[in-house]
Amino acid sequence: MNWTCEQTEARLSDYLDGLLESAEQIAFDHHVNACERCTPLVASVSHVLGTLHTLEQVEPSPLLINSVLTSTLGPQSWRKAKRWLRNLQSPRFIYSVVSVAATLFVLVSASGFSWKKPKLADLAPASIYRSADRQAHRVYARGTKFVSDLRVVYEIQSRLRQDNEIPTTPEGTIPKSSPDQKRDRTDGTNPLSPRQQNRANGIERHLEILAAEFPILSGSMGERSIP
Amino acid sequence: MEQDAQLVQQCLQGDGSAWEQLVRRHTRRIFNICYRFTGNRTEAEDLSQDVFLRIYRTLASYRSAHGGFATWMTSVTRNLLIDHYRRTKRDRITDSLDDAMPVVENKESAGRRPDEQALLGELSSQVQSALTRLSPELREAVILRDLQQLEYGEIQRVLEVPEGTVKSRINRGRIELARILQQMGVRPA
Repeated sequence: MNWTCEQTEARLSDYLDGLLESAEQIAFDHHVNACERCTPLVASVSHVLGTLHTLEQVEPSPLLINSVLTSTLGPQSWRKAKRWLRNLQSPRFIYSVVSVAATLFVLVSASGFSWKKPKLADLAPASIYRSADRQAHRVYARGTKFVSDLRVVYEIQSRLRQDNEIPTTPEGTIPKSSPDQKRDRTDGTNPLSPRQQNRANGIERHLEILAAEFPILSGSMGERSIP
Repeated sequence: MEQDAQLVQQCLQGDGSAWEQLVRRHTRRIFNICYRFTGNRTEAEDLSQDVFLRIYRTLASYRSAHGGFATWMTSVTRNLLIDHYRRTKRDRITDSLDDAMPVVENKESAGRRPDEQALLGELSSQVQSALTRLSPELREAVILRDLQQLEYGEIQRVLEVPEGTVKSRINRGRIELARILQQMGVRPA
């Protein structure tokens, strides 16, 4: 292969980077070894390349990063404030704040604090204690009354059910006890026994007394359809 | 590269700490490109700051499909350096190249013997002077290839010229640099 000085100059970087094919490489070497012009050229460029590769990175001023950040994000104090505010946006923090606020709201409301007409005096520990005590007693009293009312209603309903289940057979005859009836009677007594008759009469009296004591129940009882 | 792309996404969502990380990761490289191109430390720092400001403003235009973030940054740096070169051409004619302050290369040279370090420092400043005498086209090609160790494909994307032109510029730049150094009295050992 014929190799010229122009080719040497044009392909010098390929030669130095090892990109020449083997035939080109041989021709290049053959020419450079024999050419007085190309030998120093290749030597000097190789030297430059070696020097460039040994050049080390120059360290910038430590202030450069800070000045870049200041020119883009603003002063350092402002950046810190923004970072702090950004941390507040995390879901965990928001959940915590909401749960604490809800707890406080419930506690303050339970203590009798009026949100419509708020007074600073209502937030005094003594006021809060008194209000909470009053509220607790009131809630307890309401609860007790509610349970008592429920008990009365169920009592009346069960008595009425018992009365309706008494069969209308001729007086003095004893009906054959069916397995179903036996299943309903927990005490195992005969419904038409004199003792039971007395008890039925007693229930009627009790109902009259209850209706007189709890007029509200008489309305609900009237509305209810008795099976 | 993936980390850069992730940080860019976080920046675009308003995360300042992601931008801070990007700045810390790339400041040294950008500063070195600017310094090797201008040969002046103060000028290089001002230009680095301008580069980051431009990148910050145009971050939304970066597309990872068009190449790595580092290549994109290098491209922005190169455009800004060329703009700066054209803007300051007249001022530079009157300036002497020898006015540039000598720069201590870096902390890694501390392990060398003092005479080696002095020799290397001298050679380094001579190469830097020779670099600034190259035409901007050849200079940027040599800096990207031989100082920043970029591949031909990356240089092609940065300079936006065909690969043949990139190779030709690098070759001519090296030969021209060798000639300038010879003129300055620096000869291969």
